[in-house]
Amino acid sequence: MPKFVRHAGLLFALLLATAAGATAPDEYQVEAVFLLHFTQFVEWPAQAFGDAHTPFVIGVLGRDPFGSALDDAVRGETVNGHPLVVKRFAGAADVAPCQILFIDRSAVSDANRVIDSVSHNGTLTVSDVAVPGPQDVIIRFLNEDRRIRLRINVDFARTAGLTISSKLLRPAQVIGTIPAQ
Amino acid sequence: MTMNTKVPAIRRQLIQMVLLTSGAVLLLTVTCLFAYDFLTFRQTSQRQLDTLGRAIAANSTAALAFNNSDDAQTVLAAFEVDPHITHAALYRLDGVRFAVYPSNAAAGEFPAQLKADGTGFRFGRSDLVGILPVTEGQRRMGTLFVQSDLGAIYDRMRLYAGIVALVVCASGLLAYFLSRRLQQRISGPILALAEMANAISTRHDYSVRASNVGAFELDQLTDAFNHMLGTIQSSEARLHVQLGHLNLLQHITHAIGDSQDLASIAQVEGVGEQRSMPLQYACIARYDATVGTLTVSTVGAASQAHSERLALQPGTAIVLDDSVIAACVKGQLIHEPDTRRVALPLLQRLAAHDLGSLVIAPLVAERTLFGVLIAARGEVGAFTSADCEFLKQLSEHVALAARQAELNSALQLAYDDLRRSQQTTMQQERLRALGQIASGIAHDINNAISPVSLYTESLLEREPNLSERARNYLTTIQRAIGDVAGTVARMREFYRQREPQLSLSRVDLNVTVQQALQLTQARWSDMPQQKGIMIEVRTDLAQVPTEVMVAEGEMRDALTNLIFNAVDAMPEGGTLTIRTRRVEPSSADEPARIYIEIGDTGIGMDEATQRRCLEPFFTTKGERGSGLGLAMVYGMITRHSAELQLDSTPGRGSTFRLIFNAAGGLTVEPAFATPAIEPQPLRILLVDDDPLLIASLQEVLLGDGHDVTAANGGQAGIDAFVAASGTAQPFAIVVTDLGMPYVDGRRVAAAVKAACATTPVILLTGWGQRLVSEGDIPPHVDRVLNKPPRLVDLRAALNDLAVTAPLKRAQPGRSR
Repeated sequence: MPKFVRHAGLLFALLLATAAGATAPDEYQVEAVFLLHFTQFVEWPAQAFGDAHTPFVIGVLGRDPFGSALDDAVRGETVNGHPLVVKRFAGAADVAPCQILFIDRSAVSDANRVIDSVSHNGTLTVSDVAVPGPQDVIIRFLNEDRRIRLRINVDFARTAGLTISSKLLRPAQVIGTIPAQ
Repeated sequence: MTMNTKVPAIRRQLIQMVLLTSGAVLLLTVTCLFAYDFLTFRQTSQRQLDTLGRAIAANSTAALAFNNSDDAQTVLAAFEVDPHITHAALYRLDGVRFAVYPSNAAAGEFPAQLKADGTGFRFGRSDLVGILPVTEGQRRMGTLFVQSDLGAIYDRMRLYAGIVALVVCASGLLAYFLSRRLQQRISGPILALAEMANAISTRHDYSVRASNVGAFELDQLTDAFNHMLGTIQSSEARLHVQLGHLNLLQHITHAIGDSQDLASIAQVEGVGEQRSMPLQYACIARYDATVGTLTVSTVGAASQAHSERLALQPGTAIVLDDSVIAACVKGQLIHEPDTRRVALPLLQRLAAHDLGSLVIAPLVAERTLFGVLIAARGEVGAFTSADCEFLKQLSEHVALAARQAELNSALQLAYDDLRRSQQTTMQQERLRALGQIASGIAHDINNAISPVSLYTESLLEREPNLSERARNYLTTIQRAIGDVAGTVARMREFYRQREPQLSLSRVDLNVTVQQALQLTQARWSDMPQQKGIMIEVRTDLAQVPTEVMVAEGEMRDALTNLIFNAVDAMPEGGTLTIRTRRVEPSSADEPARIYIEIGDTGIGMDEATQRRCLEPFFTTKGERGSGLGLAMVYGMITRHSAELQLDSTPGRGSTFRLIFNAAGGLTVEPAFATPAIEPQPLRILLVDDDPLLIASLQEVLLGDGHDVTAANGGQAGIDAFVAASGTAQPFAIVVTDLGMPYVDGRRVAAAVKAACATTPVILLTGWGQRLVSEGDIPPHVDRVLNKPPRLVDLRAALNDLAVTAPLKRAQPGRSR
């Protein structure tokens, strides 16, 4: 079964849940899909991967808010041939190299340090809360009136060696300076 | 497009052809372009919609991925650039509509859901619907629905239609004006030719020519047309000439039918020739085969001036080479295109008078050349072969006509001859009847005067005692009887039939002249005097012998005719002179010549009359003359090997001169100085039916001492002779009348000879002279004596015949 069908089915389930009015689609379910979609709009530097078989890793720092949603979303998916895997890191010390690192609000205290450690090695940092300190995540989910919006710090992205598609930038709030082409 | 109805059909058709051709080409081109554009435009529209849709779809991936419908709405608003895109919508992967364009569109205008499968484009009746996948990288994000109305196509079509209409109209007009201008280069010359052909057919003027226009094929057409015109023109000219020739031939044929004589035929021929075939000189010359000369007989009417200058007028002799004549005799036409080249005198003469070419056409009838037709023209070589051919035909026609004319005149002559012969025969028949009547009368008169003559002679001879007075009376009676007998004899002579053979006798012309004058006295004396005209007759007769050997009757007739002519020539009176003379020969071998001249002082004769006056049936006296008189004279002269000369001057008179050879030998007077015959007494049987004659003759013979027995009628005579022949005293001689009823003198003579062959028979007849001259002396007759018998003749006859029968001498004293 094609993957997008499964995604569709997932989204459909979400929408059904919403339409039913019983439970609006969980915020984290949406964010899990968004994490997966980032793989399409962000370009990682080549050195971020060891070889072709090195998995594309989505790491979750702190408590995993997604439940099974994230696993469901990435199951069977690949990014440019790299298999997608989800790794969970309990604390800052656990953090292993990964391409996307979601920092849960439970781990936000250590976030500054973690971000600082990975800020130069091609890791797209994502969170749904503000990170205290000088460092911040590159993409932050903003929940506005039950709709998820994105705020993207392009300076940090540049620092991380990531290239963010302009398509992604257009619906998002952009912080930093977009370099002139 | 309105077309002038006066525009010629060819122009209209050319314009129509050009317009139709250009219209059809234009229509085909436009249709192809239209179809091509229509097809390509659909593809273009689809491609444009695809491109636009893909761009929009690419831009809407993030909105779909991150569920931002506002952004999606914004992206879809970009469709505004194409006003024909009526609707567009984005659907999520689950088929739910995510964003629509235009933003205020009603939900019913979009599909409620759109499944991920079934992308592509679909043309509807009035729209184009595209369903495009929205993917980012390899990940499908959703589906884009785009709908475009086909207004662009229809707009374009409308625009195209307008342009096409404009172009068609403009090009149609352009084609019309161009073709109208350009077609004249084709139609102009054709129309000019057609117009000319029309003009020619109405005016029949074939001398016009079409001019070239510079287009090769049309020039060929024009040239062919001109050539055809030239051919027609020359054909027409030839036709005219032929027609003229035919007319001329017809004229000649008419002339032959009308006039039947060569002169008028030649005249017609000349006139017609000048009209239908111009000749500077034309004449007809007659050919005389016996001497081989040509003589101009007729000159064409228009050639008179030339003929005078050329000295070739009627009557002029033409000298031609023998070879020319020989060719003409063979019927060959002689054509000399240049008269200066040939040294013949005729041709030199023509050349000297600017007549450069000559044609001589023979006139041949029945293989005999009788003339030539000479035609000449001024220029050298002016006669074409057609002219020559025509002249040959013409000459054959003329020859035929002339031949016919000659035949006709010969026929006319023969007819006249026949008519005159018939008249002559009738006249001769009348004369013959008259002669028979005259003979009867003469017989009766002779019978009647016979006793008178016999008694008178007897009285004068035997009555010596007659008184002088009685003797005178008797002598007068005897002369009168002699005159009566002479008159009767001349009358008989005059009416007697012409002798078939010429019996010449010695005739003294002086005597014949006198006789002729006597015979014709009534004509030159009595009849003119009745009209109050005096004709004086003078005779100048030679005193020397004028005897010739001629048929006396013919001689007398000839003189009579000449005297008649002389009298007729002097209707106002004049002098008739008859002269005889003897001309002695220059040498002894030749005989002397006797001339008789009969001259008058009358009207005389012109040359033509002199030439023809001896021809039979030629007369200047009209109905009065037979035209035979002089012909008879001439015939008589010819038969006698004599000569006839004629001197005549019109108004002064004519003299005919007859010249004979004088008769040879001495002139012997018939010395019948009758010796006194001693009459031997004979026993004579006298047979007659006239008692008076019997009585007088018996009286006279008895007076001479004969024994005379008279028998009244033929049968009585025969009976008496037969009765006496057995006896001792038969008749020594029989004198019988010829004309008696029942038994005439011939039968009496036959019976006498049958009874006794030696008994002589003397026949007395009123026809005596005639019997002798006709050689009609009946058999059994020994002597014929005329009535009234002269005693001298009777005695001589009795004496002659008695010698042959001396034994039957009558006994003396036996007379009664």
